[in-house]
Amino acid sequence: MASSCSQALRHHVCKSSRILRVHLQKAWPNRSFVLNSAADQQPAVSSPVEEIVIPKKKTWSKEAVLQALASTVNRDPTASDYRFQDDPYLTPKTSSEFKLFSLSQESGRNAAKYFISTYPKYFQKDYAQPHIPCLMPETLEAQIEEVSEAALIERIQMRKVKAAVDLYDQLQQAGTPVSLDVTNQLLDLICFYGDCDPAQENVPEQRNEETEDVQDEPQTKKGRASKASDKLKAAWKENNNAERIFALLSEPNTHSYSALIRGMVKYGAYSKAFSTYTDLLNNQLKADVSTFNALITAAPEVKEKYNEKWELIVDLLKQMAEQKVKPNLLTLNAVLKALRRCGTVGKSQAFPVISEMRALSIDPSLASYNHLLSIFYKPGAPFQGQTDILQEVMNEVSGKSFTPQDPDDAQFFITAVRICLDTKDIEQAYRVHELLGVGENWRLLGNDFQQNIYHARFFSLLCMMENIDVVLKWYRDLVPSVYYPSSNVMRDLLQVLDTDNRLDLIPQIWKDLKQLGHGNRQTLVEELLTLMAREKQNQEVQETFAECALDIKKMYDTGDRGKVMMSWTAGSLSDLVSVLLAAQRRQDAWEILKLFKTHNRVPSEELLDKFLTCIKESGDVNQALELVQISAGFCLPGTPKLIQRVQQEFLLSEQQKSMLSDLEIQTFNSD
Amino acid sequence: MYRRLLININQVRNRLIHTHNTRLTLPSTKCKERESFAPVTWAPCTARPLGTSSISFSENKESSTSLSEDKGKTPEETEVNAEVNTDGQRNTEMNEGTEISNATLTSQLETEPVVKPEDRKQVETTKSGKESLLELLGAMKVEVTTVRKIRPSKTPRMSERPDQEPMESTHSMFQRAAAEGSQQHGTLNPALVAAVSAAASTLPNRHQAESELLKQLRKHEAIPDTQRRADIGHIISDMKVGKRPNGRSNVRPTSQIRFDDDGKGYTQDRGITSELDGVRRRKSPFTSKRLNLFAAAAEQDALSDLGPTLWDIDLVNQIVQATNQMPRNGFEEMIQWTKEGRLWQYPINNEAGLEEEASVPFHEHVFLEKHLDESFPQQGPVRHFMELVITGLAKNHHLTVQQKKEHIDWFRDYFRQKEDVLKEAEAYLN
Repeated sequence: MASSCSQALRHHVCKSSRILRVHLQKAWPNRSFVLNSAADQQPAVSSPVEEIVIPKKKTWSKEAVLQALASTVNRDPTASDYRFQDDPYLTPKTSSEFKLFSLSQESGRNAAKYFISTYPKYFQKDYAQPHIPCLMPETLEAQIEEVSEAALIERIQMRKVKAAVDLYDQLQQAGTPVSLDVTNQLLDLICFYGDCDPAQENVPEQRNEETEDVQDEPQTKKGRASKASDKLKAAWKENNNAERIFALLSEPNTHSYSALIRGMVKYGAYSKAFSTYTDLLNNQLKADVSTFNALITAAPEVKEKYNEKWELIVDLLKQMAEQKVKPNLLTLNAVLKALRRCGTVGKSQAFPVISEMRALSIDPSLASYNHLLSIFYKPGAPFQGQTDILQEVMNEVSGKSFTPQDPDDAQFFITAVRICLDTKDIEQAYRVHELLGVGENWRLLGNDFQQNIYHARFFSLLCMMENIDVVLKWYRDLVPSVYYPSSNVMRDLLQVLDTDNRLDLIPQIWKDLKQLGHGNRQTLVEELLTLMAREKQNQEVQETFAECALDIKKMYDTGDRGKVMMSWTAGSLSDLVSVLLAAQRRQDAWEILKLFKTHNRVPSEELLDKFLTCIKESGDVNQALELVQISAGFCLPGTPKLIQRVQQEFLLSEQQKSMLSDLEIQTFNSD
Repeated sequence: MYRRLLININQVRNRLIHTHNTRLTLPSTKCKERESFAPVTWAPCTARPLGTSSISFSENKESSTSLSEDKGKTPEETEVNAEVNTDGQRNTEMNEGTEISNATLTSQLETEPVVKPEDRKQVETTKSGKESLLELLGAMKVEVTTVRKIRPSKTPRMSERPDQEPMESTHSMFQRAAAEGSQQHGTLNPALVAAVSAAASTLPNRHQAESELLKQLRKHEAIPDTQRRADIGHIISDMKVGKRPNGRSNVRPTSQIRFDDDGKGYTQDRGITSELDGVRRRKSPFTSKRLNLFAAAAEQDALSDLGPTLWDIDLVNQIVQATNQMPRNGFEEMIQWTKEGRLWQYPINNEAGLEEEASVPFHEHVFLEKHLDESFPQQGPVRHFMELVITGLAKNHHLTVQQKKEHIDWFRDYFRQKEDVLKEAEAYLN
């Protein structure tokens, strides 16, 4: 007790001395900590008051230790995503598997939640001590039955739009007054959901998942389509409940107007939003910042010309200043986003807008830079003389760590790397990638789909601009731990191999291709075969090529998951034969040659010629004759030449000679 | 007269270079501003009657020197050298260079015979107050940037040398520069106009040049002084932070001046050029003028204190949806769980898990005598017993203060109920 007592005393002393120190620091603001402590050690000549320097108390968040630990873990380029590490069987190898597994994990979670929330009575036992709220079932049914304001509040909190409106009407009929705050909340709710009940998050939606499955590759379309359908489904209806309830209000305040205007903007009633705003001004009220943000978003919709759009925005901003409303980051982003639709005006005004916001100590977020880049680099437009904007932006942002503040923040990296790709600016691309590694910026890369786009663009640019060693370094770093390249990107990679003369790496790449699920892309495989067949490599490489070629042949035979996806073409078959011949695998090549017949393809004369040369090296007369027969079977114009070669270069028995002359006559006749 | 003119033009010098013969005029422009700043800001340098003019002369000379020596150099680079003078660390080296080059070249420059003796003074002036130098440097930056716009853009990493142009003879150049400087005079008086035509006469397309120059001058007249001040402020503030690590990675160290073998001049220093490139770039669009719609210190109106509305919640939701919230390793997953409340938080001090008692000071736990107030007897066995109880409670760290109080209250009730019995046994003494 005594010790704790003295502790208490010390604690008190500490406290007071800290206060003292704070005061002293105020007195000597320029003195550093070190200087102070040094001064303390001296006898009290310089400072009359003896000073005890206690370091400031550092408060740690509860995740501090974990954060410190997490910062020690680097990404392992050989490991798959953390999500999939529980079960090695579920390590995704292709992008479709990746999507399937991650979605199924998520949907499993949702299903569990759905059951818990739908049947809460079976999940009442609370095992956790202390209680963990997020593991307990949510209440989905309203608990308060009577008609009262409390019941209304409850329904608003549960986001039941229809029920809340009904209850409000009942309250009105009963003559019970509803407070303005609650009515405003109700308005918020109605406007937010556009006077429709929100789709239940946990209810499994059959249709959505089907569309996801069908629309395998172009997920962008899906995103846009769903957004578009949202808009179509929920347009602002004339005289809907929100307007009706709003009209019932005797004295609507700023909040009521704000809710109404935001709802109108959200659901596309732009001009109506502006007239409501005029209404608000007529009622001698001030708008709040979110109202202005919504109106700025709507500004490009209500005007036709670029100039008029911009003037409207400036006008809104001026009114903000008049009403002493302080803009926030979302205002800045809304203005910049609107400027994206103002053509050349956007280019001239974007930077002044940013400077203005800077002056108000609003720092742009990544979304602002994203809009800025989009203003200056329209997709499909020429890029001359604008590369430096990206440079400027990168100069601004590089080395900074950003926190997510705007939903559009996640678009920045994709836009930046798109511009790098379009302008073929590898330097900036590296800077963009570097920025991604700073702090928590990786979170801003967005969801899996966006990550894939980003990496695809980055890697294509690398393939375009860098030599093979650098490309392969990145390839090993990114594939397949974070990025599953599409077949197009893999074709780019093959081209790099070709240009830098590193065709010996092809078998390796083929293995990856197979694993990435591109083993059944016909064009890709054919290109691979062509590359292998084109030049004669050294023996060792030829050997691996031959193995690889046979592997490819297997792919043709079995296909993926039992389905035969690819069909042989004459080109691919002859490439295959030449690869095998170059590796001195005559027997295998012979098997392939027979495939021409089964697949109704015609071999070229050069191929047969090459084959004959190869047969000659081994001196197999019978095979030579068979080759000639095959050639005759295809009625190739080069058959007589082949017959001639066989007659000259091989030692033939009488029987064989007669057979050849028969063939010769046959071909002659057919001609 | 020449000097007076020059001082006057200071107002508009910044935008001079818009004229199409920009590069040629540059060195002299810079000299002028130096001159004009000198009397104002370099107060410490006392008693130097010839100081101001000497600076301009030496500067001119220096630039012409380098120009004549090395055809390849653009005036910009020369200017860069001149600016080094303003930088406290490097000035000595640089001035040496200037002196020597001046010494070797006096014979070539008959137009300015005065130059040489005054040159020493410059050495002293350059060592004056740093702030004035900064300001000066900043003032120069303005024009440098405008020049930049004319030039082809460069990548920030590769700071190659600016493209180089052959120069005319230094003599004529100097004259023209002086003339052009003079035409910037604020009111566009007749002398100015004459100077403009003189300058224009040196150019191939005489009339066009003249009219352009005059037009330019009038335009600059309109630009208010304050705005330019603000610009300079921007630049200076930028300069303080403007050390980008990659700015001069691939160039030689700055402040290097190397003399040619014949001792006639020195080779240009690229390091500063690249650094200046950096500064120029930093200045760039992001520091452009603002719209001036809002007052800087607009007060925040505290309107909505009602807590987060549905819209705010939705915004947060959207942000969460848009960003990648997937954990990358086990620790991050644990962080996520901690935030959701599913995981007992990692202890970060000795008070982990002390949520409900966190606000209770420890003495409430330890000093429990105050609860043994008049409701208990002041002495006797009951009192003695209760003291033991509170000692025990004081050491018990499992109970909250509330529980301890309840414990004591229970005894209080108990003894009250048994009061009769206790009194009978003479144990309850009040």
